[in-house]
Amino acid sequence: MSDALVQILEGNTFVVSDDKGDIAASSTDPTGLFSFDTRFLSRWVLTVNGQRLTALSTDDLQYFQARFFLVPGSGTVYVDSKLSIIRLREVADGFHEELRVLNHENDPVDLEIRLEAASDFADLFEVKDALKKKGQYRNEVTGGSLVLRYERDTYARETWISASEPATVDATGLTFHATVPGHGEWATDLDVVASQGMPDGIGEAPVGIRGRRRQVRQDMARGLQKWLQRAPTVDCDWEPLEHIYQRCMTDLAALRFSTLTMPDHALPAAGLPWFMTIFGRDSIFTSLQALPFTSELAETTLRALAERQGTRIDDFRDEDPGRMLHEMRYGEMTAFEERPHSPYYGNADATMLWVVLLDEYERWTGDSKLVHDMEQAARAALAWIDEYADRQGNGYVSYQRRNAKTGLENQCWKDSWDSISYRNGDLPGFPRATCELQGYAYDAKMRAARLARHIWKDAAFADQLEKEAADLKRRFNRDFWIKDGEYFAVALDADGRQVDSLTSNIGHLLWSGIVDSSKAKAVVRHLMSPQMFSGWGVRTLAEGEARYNPIGYHVGTVWPFDNSFIAWGLRRYGFKAEAAAIVAGILEAAEVFDGRLPEAFGGYARSSTRYPVQYPTACSPQAWSTGAPLLLLRAGLGLEPNGDNLIVDPALPKRIGNLELLDLPGRWKRIDAFGRGRIDTDRIVRR
Amino acid sequence: MSNAKSRSATTADPISDFFAGLTEPGHIATFEREAATLRFDVDDGEHWHITIHDGDVSVTEQLLPADAIVQVSRPNFEAMVTGRLNAQAALLRGLMTCDGDIAALMMFQRCLPGPPGSTGTVEPLSSQAVMAQRRPQ
Repeated sequence: MSDALVQILEGNTFVVSDDKGDIAASSTDPTGLFSFDTRFLSRWVLTVNGQRLTALSTDDLQYFQARFFLVPGSGTVYVDSKLSIIRLREVADGFHEELRVLNHENDPVDLEIRLEAASDFADLFEVKDALKKKGQYRNEVTGGSLVLRYERDTYARETWISASEPATVDATGLTFHATVPGHGEWATDLDVVASQGMPDGIGEAPVGIRGRRRQVRQDMARGLQKWLQRAPTVDCDWEPLEHIYQRCMTDLAALRFSTLTMPDHALPAAGLPWFMTIFGRDSIFTSLQALPFTSELAETTLRALAERQGTRIDDFRDEDPGRMLHEMRYGEMTAFEERPHSPYYGNADATMLWVVLLDEYERWTGDSKLVHDMEQAARAALAWIDEYADRQGNGYVSYQRRNAKTGLENQCWKDSWDSISYRNGDLPGFPRATCELQGYAYDAKMRAARLARHIWKDAAFADQLEKEAADLKRRFNRDFWIKDGEYFAVALDADGRQVDSLTSNIGHLLWSGIVDSSKAKAVVRHLMSPQMFSGWGVRTLAEGEARYNPIGYHVGTVWPFDNSFIAWGLRRYGFKAEAAAIVAGILEAAEVFDGRLPEAFGGYARSSTRYPVQYPTACSPQAWSTGAPLLLLRAGLGLEPNGDNLIVDPALPKRIGNLELLDLPGRWKRIDAFGRGRIDTDRIVRR
Repeated sequence: MSNAKSRSATTADPISDFFAGLTEPGHIATFEREAATLRFDVDDGEHWHITIHDGDVSVTEQLLPADAIVQVSRPNFEAMVTGRLNAQAALLRGLMTCDGDIAALMMFQRCLPGPPGSTGTVEPLSSQAVMAQRRPQ
């Protein structure tokens, strides 16, 4: 099979195929038609007269549409075909495929065209971990459709396959006997519908195969067009920026995800295709990044997370009252509680970040109705910080999973096993109080105080929150500060001891505002030092620490998302030129990656590799990498809502030249922002 | 409408207990600024109709129209109101079906209790223990 994988999607339904449009998955091979975290097709192979086909070219027309140009034969020798085959595939509740066979000869030709179909109905988790299925399969031909069915007790899932042209349907596929006239064509429509089956057996065909399908597709195309038209416009002397911006907005459109309870609203899913679901942290960070350009994502994220906010103690799901969810899944293992994702709550940051987003959303949009609607959720979130998140009992937010079997060990954004370490490489015990969590808690309280005072009209609550925040800030600057190194420890361990490695987490502290202004300069000096700043961006872990590895997931790579928040933090403390250096580095990396930033790239010094080295990941685009250039534009232009005005205070890298951001939406309706690059960022960075 | 006839008046009924506990305070903060009606049709002839309006909750056993109508067996509903069965998992598994506005059901499930064995606590894990777990790598 060819390595070239093609993926198209809509919401949480997506197809991953080879460059011929075929799916021939093994149990652990991540190809297929997936919907609601379940594989509904693991085999979909086209043959003509028993022969597999060869791809001439493949086009990703839109994120939900792909076209495959094919000819018969193995393709290892010169192709001089008398036939060509075009498959046009579009995703919606499964997929729709238009199959056309063109005869280039003068004489008609008789063909046997076959599509072989099968499904293993694997849960995404099973594809990842190669687990065995526990239920039974049943294939049936019903009213001209092939139905693939899987059932386990009352759980049932079905794939319905039908064609517009007459076909011989058997349990493993559809066969067409076609006569294609000379210089003519033969065509059929194929529909594959993913369906939640009834417990008592195969019933009626699911609604909406043809007819409604066309409507859905038109809506999708129009929806994308409208989304792009509504977005602000970027004009820039540095041409790559316009391309980067277009790429971001299109990818953000593809990452839009609707929940079952709010089908007409979209929030950003975490990544395409394996993380097309709500992730508390990822959806919030991406919504924050995108706020100057669109507030729709933030609004839906706030509502969707509040709807599923924790209300009880559930150790399996690491749920507490007030806690915001980490990840939601719909597959078989979640259904049978073999995985806790219904939803899973094991994160220590999303609850506080949700409050931060609520305030930031109001500052941009002036939508006080949403803030009123969310008052109870916000109060519950704030109560969680004090009542449930202080697991060390010392007034700091810390985490330790209660679900030791399938829960998450590290519940901060750096969630890999070795991400939090002492300088000597040892790993701390649990609970762990990582530093950025204290920053988020501080920011959440300060921002909630503003909402309490001005919108909920509860001055006493506002006073109390501000007092708690001030106390937290005072203690934090005492307990986390490493005096001889002049930076903040990445965490306090279970004994209250400092976990002393130097990490990018200190940049998030600037964003949250928890850093004493007397300490900010030293923090910035570290961030821009050769140990931390690679020339492209700030490394997750400083060079020189025992676990440093320039291609280690959270221990040396550069994360664009991380850097975008660090740049925002640098602006918050007035370090404009340093922020511009990060804006320059990450946007120039984006140029190398043709506009689409990966989740992370290697921490090698820019001077030694010339090009950023991509970290291999399964997901692209990743939501918060997609959002990074948007937040960097905000940081570079110094955009800050202030009442009904938008402050523009540009500090841009020289190379950018003139930058115009037109039609920024917000409480001011629409506004334009201009800036001119004046900062020689090469001089900022010590190399 | 009467309750399901099969239930003895003397034994405690977890479903009646649950709804009594829900309506006793009469006001639930998490439901403020929310409005919805839903009805649980339990086996044959047993109905629980819930009205939520700006935090106020009222329950009747009448067969009234609702935004969301949920079909569920008595054992599964008992398991749900005592925290032994998660509502979202039950829905995915086909143990419960919902017609109408699924958002109403999602809102309602916020007042269901957690699993009986959950304590919210966990023993701390030392650095030595974490390092020992990682040694084989």
